[in-house]
Amino acid sequence: MTTATFATPTTIGELSDAIGVALDISGPRGESASETRDAAFEREALPWLDDVYRFALSLTRDESDADDVVQETYLRAYRSWHTFIPGTECRRWLFTICRNVFLRSRERQRPTVDLEDGEQDAVAAGSVYAAAREKGYDALYSRLDLAPALREALDDLAEPFRSAVILVDVEDMTYETAAQVMGVPIGTVRSRLFRGRRLLQEKLLTVAEDMGFVPATAGGER
Amino acid sequence: MSAPSRTHLEDLGLSSTCVEVLRHLWDYLDDEMTPGGAVRLRAHIATCSTCRAYEGYQSCFLEALSRLRAEFHAPATLRERLAEKLKGQGCGCWEKVRKEQP
Repeated sequence: MTTATFATPTTIGELSDAIGVALDISGPRGESASETRDAAFEREALPWLDDVYRFALSLTRDESDADDVVQETYLRAYRSWHTFIPGTECRRWLFTICRNVFLRSRERQRPTVDLEDGEQDAVAAGSVYAAAREKGYDALYSRLDLAPALREALDDLAEPFRSAVILVDVEDMTYETAAQVMGVPIGTVRSRLFRGRRLLQEKLLTVAEDMGFVPATAGGER
Repeated sequence: MSAPSRTHLEDLGLSSTCVEVLRHLWDYLDDEMTPGGAVRLRAHIATCSTCRAYEGYQSCFLEALSRLRAEFHAPATLRERLAEKLKGQGCGCWEKVRKEQP
C-alpha cells in the first residue's frame, strides 16, 4: 500500500490525484493506476470519437483540419483525464475541449454576437414557412434527397450559429449542455440556435428553387 | 436583423394564439418549455390545423437535421494516427481507437 501524504487539494485534478493516492488505485485484479485510467478513458472517451469528429468537421469545414483538431482533443483529454469528473457527461467534456482546440488553432477570440431576441427569429421563421407554402415547398424537409443541400447550407452558416445548430439539432444536446460546451449562457444558445435555423430555412428555400425541386403541393393549402 | 414580414404572417391568417405558437414552437419541439406552457401549446395545436401544419413543417426540418448525424464517421486514417499518438503517450487502450465503435 502506498503511503499517502495528505495535502489539501485545491483543484479538481489535485483532488482526484489525492483520492487516487489515498486509495492506491488498484483494480480488483491488481491493475495499476494507469491501467485503471486507460480503462476509464476507453470506456468513457473513445465511444465519442465519431461525434467529436463530426463536431470538429462542422467547426473547421475541412477534413484535414478536423483530423488535427480531433487528434489534439483526444491527446489533451488523455493527458488531462484526471480532471474529468466521473459520472459527468464525457461527450460534453470532449466537445468543450474540441471547441477550445479549434478556437486556439485559429487564434480566434470567442466570437461575440449581439444578444438579439431568439423569439423574433422564431416568429420570423413563420414568414419563411409562409413563403415556402406559397411556393409549394412546405413538404421540402421530408425529401431524403435534401441531405446534401442541407449539409452545404449548414457548412455555409456562419459561426457561432453553426455550432449552436450542430450541438442541439445534430448532436441532440439540450440548450444547457450546448451552453456549457460553448461557454455562453443558455439564452445565447437559444438566440444563436433560432437565428441559425431561420437562416438555414431561408437558404434551403432558395436552394430548392435553384435546384428545381418540384413543389409537392403547388400553391399549398389555404 | 430585419423585422419579420407582417405581410407574410398575415397571409397565414393567424390568430394571436397562433402567433404564440410561432414564438414558442421551437422551444416546445426542443422540449425546453415549462410543462404548463407545453400543455397549453399542445392543446392549441391539437385544435388548429394551421398550427398543426406548421408544427409538422418544423418537425420535419429538425428531423432532417438530426438525420445528418448518421452520415459522418471518423475516417480510418484519423483513427490510425490517433492510435499511434496515444500509444506514444503510454495509453494502454490505443489499439481500441483503431476499431470503429458500433
